[in-house]
Amino acid sequence: MKQHMTLSVFDLSTYLGVNPDTIKRWVRQGKLPVLPKGADLRFEKKALEKWAALHNIRLNLTDKKSAEKQNQEDIPLSQALQNGGIYFNIPGNNVASVLESCVKQIPQVPDDFKPDLLDRLVERENALSTGVGNGMAIPHPRQQLSYLSDPMITVNFLADPVDYNALDGRPVSILFCILCPSLQHHLHLLSALSFCLKDADFVAFIKSQPQLDQLVEQTMVLQKANPL
Amino acid sequence: MDDRLLLIIAGSIAGICSGLAAVALRLALESVTEWLHPFRHFWWAFLLPAVGALLSTVYLEKITREGAGHGVPEVIYAVSKHGGLLRLRSSYSRLISSFLTIGSGGSAGPEAPVVMSGSAIGSNIAKLLWLNDRQRTTLVGCGTAGAIAGIFNAPLAGLVFAIEVVLGKWEFSNIIPIAIAAVAGAEVSRAIIHEQVLFNHLPFNMGTADILPGICLALFAGLISVFFTKTLNTSGKFAKKNRFPFWMRAIIGGSVVGCIGLFFPVVLGEGYHFIQSMISGTFTMGIFLTFVAVFAKIFATAITLGWGGSGGIFAPCLLIGSLTGIVFHKIVFLLFDNAACASEGAYALLGMTGLISGVMQAPLTGIFLVLEITGGYETILPLIVVSAISSTMSHYIEPASFYFKELIRKGQFLRPGTDARILSDLNIRELVSTEFTTVSENMIFREFIKILKTSDQFFFPVIDENTGAYKGMIEIRNIRRHVLNPGIYDMVFLNQIMDTDILTASLENDLHDVLEMMETNNMESIPVVEHDTFIGMISKTRILDLYRRELIMQTSVR
Amino acid sequence: MNYKLLQIFRNTPFGRETFLQSLYFCKTIHAHPVVYIPESDKFLMYFPNDAIQIDLDSSYLTSPETAKQHACDLFGEMGFKPAFFAPRSFTASTLPDIPTNFDYFCCPRSVSDLSSKIGLGHIGPKVRRIIKQAPFPVLLTSLVFKPWKSIAVFFGGSTNARKALQMGLRIAMVSKLPMDIYTLREKKSQGYYENIIKESDLTAPVSQFLRNWHYYEKSESDAMLYDVPHDALIVLGAYGHGVIKDLLFGSKMEKIQSTVTNNLLITGPQCELSLIH
Repeated sequence: MKQHMTLSVFDLSTYLGVNPDTIKRWVRQGKLPVLPKGADLRFEKKALEKWAALHNIRLNLTDKKSAEKQNQEDIPLSQALQNGGIYFNIPGNNVASVLESCVKQIPQVPDDFKPDLLDRLVERENALSTGVGNGMAIPHPRQQLSYLSDPMITVNFLADPVDYNALDGRPVSILFCILCPSLQHHLHLLSALSFCLKDADFVAFIKSQPQLDQLVEQTMVLQKANPL
Repeated sequence: MDDRLLLIIAGSIAGICSGLAAVALRLALESVTEWLHPFRHFWWAFLLPAVGALLSTVYLEKITREGAGHGVPEVIYAVSKHGGLLRLRSSYSRLISSFLTIGSGGSAGPEAPVVMSGSAIGSNIAKLLWLNDRQRTTLVGCGTAGAIAGIFNAPLAGLVFAIEVVLGKWEFSNIIPIAIAAVAGAEVSRAIIHEQVLFNHLPFNMGTADILPGICLALFAGLISVFFTKTLNTSGKFAKKNRFPFWMRAIIGGSVVGCIGLFFPVVLGEGYHFIQSMISGTFTMGIFLTFVAVFAKIFATAITLGWGGSGGIFAPCLLIGSLTGIVFHKIVFLLFDNAACASEGAYALLGMTGLISGVMQAPLTGIFLVLEITGGYETILPLIVVSAISSTMSHYIEPASFYFKELIRKGQFLRPGTDARILSDLNIRELVSTEFTTVSENMIFREFIKILKTSDQFFFPVIDENTGAYKGMIEIRNIRRHVLNPGIYDMVFLNQIMDTDILTASLENDLHDVLEMMETNNMESIPVVEHDTFIGMISKTRILDLYRRELIMQTSVR
Repeated sequence: MNYKLLQIFRNTPFGRETFLQSLYFCKTIHAHPVVYIPESDKFLMYFPNDAIQIDLDSSYLTSPETAKQHACDLFGEMGFKPAFFAPRSFTASTLPDIPTNFDYFCCPRSVSDLSSKIGLGHIGPKVRRIIKQAPFPVLLTSLVFKPWKSIAVFFGGSTNARKALQMGLRIAMVSKLPMDIYTLREKKSQGYYENIIKESDLTAPVSQFLRNWHYYEKSESDAMLYDVPHDALIVLGAYGHGVIKDLLFGSKMEKIQSTVTNNLLITGPQCELSLIH
């Protein structure tokens, strides 16, 4: 005999986004195809799909909800830094050339997309400078980058400070590039990063041009102390 | 087994059983009328209906403890509210009580009791087979159709009545089993009672000339049917108001009907005999007396049904209708003595259709019933006209028909796919979203801000940290300026900024009430609190979502 | 959670005992009692597959003017806020519909016969029908109010017995009272019963709440019933599926209720419950 996948009332209620009581009522009223045998109500996937098509009801029987949830989970700042990496002695003497050298070095961005990413970063800077003051800037594109698998922040130490139209007018020597596949991560990382940059000790530490593992460790300490 | 096949088989069994019940009642009534006939001449004959009504009401109240209603509305109520669940005792109790009422001369019809018992039979067959609500209501329809088909030998009328009046939904999956049940009921009736047509008559000659008088008759019949409906309701209310015990009411009511019957024997019983004579043109009463008889029958029926008797209004409608037709015909000939109209009998038919359609506001049932019980297809064109006009007229004056009026008043008239039905099906338990972070009333505001940062809730229920009792609500929208003011983070506790006067709903509320509460107070969400415990929130967005699904479920074809 | 128990109030001393018993039950398992004071001698309960009309005997309508006050007093005595149920829909004017979405239902062993017949040895036909159709467990109270101090689950291995066991666990969990299991062995080893527990994923809660598991041979049923503590709440399943089991378990339930004076909590075949609600 062919074995079909069956669902319980509770499973079905999560798939349909309704209360289990509603499912039970629909069964009682004869609106749902239910397997006739057994003390507990069971539903056959195939019959349900047919029923959903007939009633024009969206029914996603794959376990989409939990997959989505994992995707949505906030990524910690330290993880994003780890993903991105640190680059030293970035050449360039104006905003565009500095950004170009930054983009060139990111291995995760496919070569085809690099000119496009650069355009977007420059476009963002032209609209309003991302220089947050204190010699630092957070360049980022407005659009999400679907080709990235994970969100990341690259830290770039410039060879020479560049005039960046920053808020406090001081030239910028450190760039944090935030690159994300989804908006939610982007906002989260942006706020986490700006929170860290308000911490005077952390800023001093950054300016000492630390190695990647030191930076990640320090960020973790800061995160633990201030869970967002 | 396949759903359709199962319903067809179970439906035909229901049809046969209710057909048998119908035939049994009809035969029993015929024989008891014959048996009582010799006693009708005595002066004390007026007591007969009193005795009948007394026995009938005592039987219903004390032996079967039915809590009697009209019958058909109860079936409609069960179908709309409880998936057609009917009590087993209903499948026989009304048969016996209406037999006592009508047999003794009470003015009522045997159809509603038969419908009640037919539908109860259908419902109990469904119960035996553990069928679901949808299948059960179909079987209730089958029982109804079988009963009407059996008692009138009118399968089409049975089918139409079951769908138009009882189920209220024309649906492919309903029609087939009900049609088969109607055939089964009619076959049973034909096999046992051999006369084919209830009322025999000579062929009528109806032509175009009859359309205009037909329209006038329809208006007249519409008025009479509204009057009949109103009298029935008033009589019932009046009977409930007085202080007599129920058996005393039955005796008084029965005696009054008996007295009317002394002067107008036409009002007694179901009156098929008189209808027959009217249709065949052998009815001899004068115009004035006939006119008075219309009202005598109306009052007699209202008193019988309102004061403790048991029975239906089908047969009284037919009788009043034919009397109305005759009166109208006589008036026409009085005014224009050379009018080119059809015979009196034909107008009696038209009158019947007019009354049935007007009282039940079910035009199709009126047409098919009269067509089938008289076998007169030649009158169909005026019949349709009369039926349509009379039901429109009655609907214009009294938007709710006799069967539906009480249900609509109590908000229990729930046809599938209507707003009322959806609101009644969706209960608060199904709508409430329960995943809420609660906060304690003694929490300091800074703590709350921390929670706020990681939460996407717009509402935070505040509870007593010891007992868990609900204290109030924090709505982000209302505390925005506090949130943006870090200066007070350490200054206030949550019970200082929470709203305590937000209206709350309980799980016991109807969705209808809750929606009304939200509407009048302009709320987007309402907290549900039961026994001082916060259960969850109901939001309009969620209601819309589920409402739409429910609507799809109820209206889509299978 | 927010469990509710429905009690049909009878304004007589006997009714008071029943009511006190159900109040005690509610207090112990943290449920909320809701009282219906009948206004007519009958009401209807619509279950998913049956409409049951319950004809009350006249003692339920005794002195209606004091009923509410009496009920309030008893509520207060046990520290509850009075909660009354008012029927909202009526099938006929004297026939109110009582909803069936309660979590527990409390009634004496018979509702429609005269009180004199009530006592041991007779479960009314209507109570039996309610048990068969009800989606909730039914509490059959003892004659006289008597607090109980432990839970005794009668477990025979059937689906219904499993429900009873779950019910017993739920009560043990919230009431923190010890639970015993009583099993009448029907030619099967102890392992058979323990295996059922394992298969239904109940091992962990059972080991947590179980005090003793008593096994008896089939012939020792009277001894078993005597061994059940007099102050225990008995939880048992009634009317399993299938005709033969029906007869078997049906008669067993009748026998148990006619022998012991304890309070019985009965889970019928339609009873819906899960361990974590």
